Amino acid sequence: MKIEDVVCSFCGCLCDDLVVEVEGTRVISVENGCTLASEKFLGDHRLKTPIRRDGNSWTKISYDEAIAETAEILLDADRPLLYGWSGTFGEAQSVGVHLAEILGAVIDNTSTVCHGPSILAIQEVGHPGCTLGQVKNRADVVVYWGANPVDAHPRHMSRYTTYCDGFFRKDAFKDRKVIVVDVRDTESSILADEFVKVNPGGDYAVLSALRAIVRGKRGIIPPEVEGVSREQLFRVADICMSAKFGAVFFGVGLTMAPGKNKNIRNAIEFTEELSRHTKFTISPMRGHWNVYGSNEVFTWISGYPYAVDFARGIAFYNPGETTSVDILKRGECDACLVVASDPGAHFPKECAEHLARIPTVQIDPHVNVTTHLSRIQIPVAVAGIDAEGTAYRMDGVPIRTRKLFQGQYPDDFEVLEKIYAIVKEAKG
Amino acid sequence: MKFLLNTGRTIRQGSFVERKNSPSYQTAAATIFMNPVDMLEIMVEEGDHVRVRSDVGEVVMQVSPDVGLPRWRVFVSLGPYSNHIVSAETHGTGMPDFKVTPVSIEPTDDPVLPVGTLMGLCGGVPYED
Amino acid sequence: MSGLLIKNAFVIDPISGVKGEIMDIAICDGKIVEEAPRDAEIIDAKGHLTLPGGIDSHSHVCGTKVNFGRYMSPEDMRAGRTARKGVMHVTSGYSVPTTFGNSYRYSTMGYTTVLEGAMAPLEARHTHEEFTATPHQDMLANTLFDGNWSVMEAVREKDVKRAAAVVAWTLSAVKGFAIKLTNPGGTEAWGWGRDMSTIHDVVPNFEVTPAEIIGTMIRANELLNLPHSVHLHCNNLGVPGNYRTTLDTISLVPDLNKDRQSLYLTHVQFHSYGGTTWRDICSKSEDITRTINSTPHVVMDMGQIMFGRTTTMTADGPMEFKLYMLHHNKWSNHDVELETGSGIIPVYYSRKSLVNCVMWAIGLELALLTKNPWQCLLSTDSPNGAPFIKYPEIIGLLMSRRFRENERKMIDPRTEHFVPLFAIDRELEWYDIAVMTRAGQAKALGITRIGKGYLTPGAEADVAIYPIKPGEIDPSVEYQQVVAGFSRTLYTIKRGRVVARDGEVVVEGANSTIWSKSNVPAEYDMGSDPEFTRKFEQYYTVRMRNYPVQEVYLPRGKMIASEAFL
Repeated sequence: MKIEDVVCSFCGCLCDDLVVEVEGTRVISVENGCTLASEKFLGDHRLKTPIRRDGNSWTKISYDEAIAETAEILLDADRPLLYGWSGTFGEAQSVGVHLAEILGAVIDNTSTVCHGPSILAIQEVGHPGCTLGQVKNRADVVVYWGANPVDAHPRHMSRYTTYCDGFFRKDAFKDRKVIVVDVRDTESSILADEFVKVNPGGDYAVLSALRAIVRGKRGIIPPEVEGVSREQLFRVADICMSAKFGAVFFGVGLTMAPGKNKNIRNAIEFTEELSRHTKFTISPMRGHWNVYGSNEVFTWISGYPYAVDFARGIAFYNPGETTSVDILKRGECDACLVVASDPGAHFPKECAEHLARIPTVQIDPHVNVTTHLSRIQIPVAVAGIDAEGTAYRMDGVPIRTRKLFQGQYPDDFEVLEKIYAIVKEAKG
Repeated sequence: MKFLLNTGRTIRQGSFVERKNSPSYQTAAATIFMNPVDMLEIMVEEGDHVRVRSDVGEVVMQVSPDVGLPRWRVFVSLGPYSNHIVSAETHGTGMPDFKVTPVSIEPTDDPVLPVGTLMGLCGGVPYED
Repeated sequence: MSGLLIKNAFVIDPISGVKGEIMDIAICDGKIVEEAPRDAEIIDAKGHLTLPGGIDSHSHVCGTKVNFGRYMSPEDMRAGRTARKGVMHVTSGYSVPTTFGNSYRYSTMGYTTVLEGAMAPLEARHTHEEFTATPHQDMLANTLFDGNWSVMEAVREKDVKRAAAVVAWTLSAVKGFAIKLTNPGGTEAWGWGRDMSTIHDVVPNFEVTPAEIIGTMIRANELLNLPHSVHLHCNNLGVPGNYRTTLDTISLVPDLNKDRQSLYLTHVQFHSYGGTTWRDICSKSEDITRTINSTPHVVMDMGQIMFGRTTTMTADGPMEFKLYMLHHNKWSNHDVELETGSGIIPVYYSRKSLVNCVMWAIGLELALLTKNPWQCLLSTDSPNGAPFIKYPEIIGLLMSRRFRENERKMIDPRTEHFVPLFAIDRELEWYDIAVMTRAGQAKALGITRIGKGYLTPGAEADVAIYPIKPGEIDPSVEYQQVVAGFSRTLYTIKRGRVVARDGEVVVEGANSTIWSKSNVPAEYDMGSDPEFTRKFEQYYTVRMRNYPVQEVYLPRGKMIASEAFL
């Protein structure tokens, strides 16, 4: 059976035009998707049953046992951390926040090691953005800063920017200038009309120079700023100022680099500066397909997009303190529930070591790096393949993923609801 | 020799995220990209193993040339190998310094450890599927 | 059968013509009935003021921009927070509370129905998700059409039927309630960093004017036979001298509907400014209300501002940028492809700012100078003028000249030279307040047909009992008691069940979402219109099949169906 308009649950592009052929409970072909989508849909490497670590070996256990033991671990903990959430759908994320609320736990999502600094910057200066269709239909200048879409968001350029014709851009490839700013050559920088190669850690200074130029202060720019020549800076500023509609997309090359949230603040203020001359927008290249959904769900329930601590009864938010890496580094949490992400792979070693020390439970369809650090893993259906629910694209557009077939696994929502029910019963 | 380590997403790493016990994922996550001139200097060829050390740890990876990298800069895909040597210090931002870890690199004959074994070093118990 | 009998209630029910009588209200299975079941629970209202559940006909509580207001404002989240307690979830936020925060605060004020003022169709799913997490109120969504490409193309072709067909398809797809126009044409122009400065400016590339969009949509709305009228946020919001735009707009409105207004003008305070700059801004409330008084087919809401901190949020992206240029605080903007825009900035309305004082006075003047309370409804455009928790204070100000005089001593002393407020003696009465906070809204929204806004048999059993005995207090003197009374009900009853009592929320709640579906003939079904679908697939970034909001997002959806005259 061929299913059309399938939503891809890999990256923040959330492409919704895939054609997927299904036979029984197996995907046999994927059209329109990128490499990452094909791997995701055709992949068949799931953990078959819940597993538990007993001493130095692993045993298979039933779902009921796994769920009961997970609830017990969470109830026993004084300071549980509920981490992940970006790889599941909104309805499950919502149960997660309520679970954290009732447990007095900390709940955090993968923004914490991705666009957390962007959120901090937005909380300082705001965020002039737009949906991706605005860019597709209007933009004549696109800037990728610290982002490598060819590798991380393979269809971003063909669906929304460089190669995508729009209402006011009938021949996008010709009508549109692409600027790439990065510390190294990438598959994306090759495609740029203008590649700006910055010294590592130099983004803040380069952004400041560009802001100065937009403000009319060309005279103060030195011959070179962090590896970028004055001539190129002038050229880039001119391209931006003469745009009819410019769009900046920034990636973790900017959020993780020295300066972090201050880099993003500078990039937003650069955009704001340009908005006084022409139309300009800025948008983060969100990584996980539903990381933005986790920010949205956390926010409407608790008031904060990530790093929410319910230990005091109220929702408390202090990134740098209530963020997962810091909590793990301090050895503060005494249990961890990981849902739909892989901190074992993506957190520094010290964090992995603490996850191994405490009872860590993982809810995830696949064996991943965190598996080796866990006490229990509960496999679930894959959202967008055999589970469905709401996802928020990188620009905030909500799309409902599709369930392509009825498989044998429960989904995140069902498993979390069962854990929640046990915890609620115990907490009254 | 001293280098500055950068980490980031790659399409190869992304392709194998659901098979993290596989040799392909190991290859994608444990490859360190280096300017060919630097490779000459430390006398390694493509596929050779190197020991990468930072203030917080060390890990063995295999090397691969990348002319797009400036000298004295190396790149590793995000994942457990790069994280073995990145510090958890966030300077109050919640975000570790994933883009700028000073490291030293030298050739080695030691093997690149499988992911499970690497996590065993962190106190975990490898799960073989 | 679950029954409830409210005895000895001092009832004001304007729709039913009850202007303050002690009576009993019988409830069975969520409806008002003639006689309560024998085993009905009894509440003795002891002569306290009892009104239909409050209805907010324009508030920003759910959806993309509201949530972004939270997301970007941890300082606002910290400014109002409560712990989980009993059935209540954690809440955060002062001017943009979390969904549960909104729901509980409205509920303890006696509000049982709230209309979200602006939903971008493309992001409707988000609004509905938050509706589900706002459990104490029935929710409705104004749906934005101000910059809708297909609508503007139909307007350009002077094809009102096609414009109507686009509206019908969209409302049905996104489960919206009514047509909202926010700065019509201006949000599209903002896609190029521009704006509209009169209703006769031409929208770039589309060759239509705001006046043409408004005129066409008013007629399209009536062709579709929708419960509510077009809901308009005029062009030029917040600009000195903008009252002319507002008057020009009112002059466009034909009288097309015998049951309700033909145009609803929202937050008119922001559209009633004289002067030419921020230095000589003055009130034009008299000009506006004179026109409203002679134009019975137009209804407005106040858009009152109250002093203090709040967050402004609107689909009017260019306006927010102008406001940002004044305040230099933080600024967010979010344009939505083919449809509309939006912007957010935090503001502080200060008693020491002459401009803010003039704005404050204008809102009150609109209510006091409009003769017919059914034509001027109480609102703050929450949270734009102030968070809705300020409504009781506004009621106090409207009911008490003394309260206004006391406020006069605390504001910029120059204010009185720019506004007529302090020459107005009128003090509104309980009946006026009942009209302006529920009955008027029910009528204007066209939801009396589903039992909203009144208390006679057949109505939904949404009731608010306030700790106020109208015969025993003099609101013009004891206005503080009025404010306190409207802040916290004795009982809030939603669909026959007590949901809040003495300021405490007592049930988790389960609301409905009310939406409109106009049935159009097959040839006007845009879902199978080749031109419409071709453009959709070409220019949107979401496939047409993934656009409609699935039924699963409306666990208790309540559809108001109508037959289109196409």
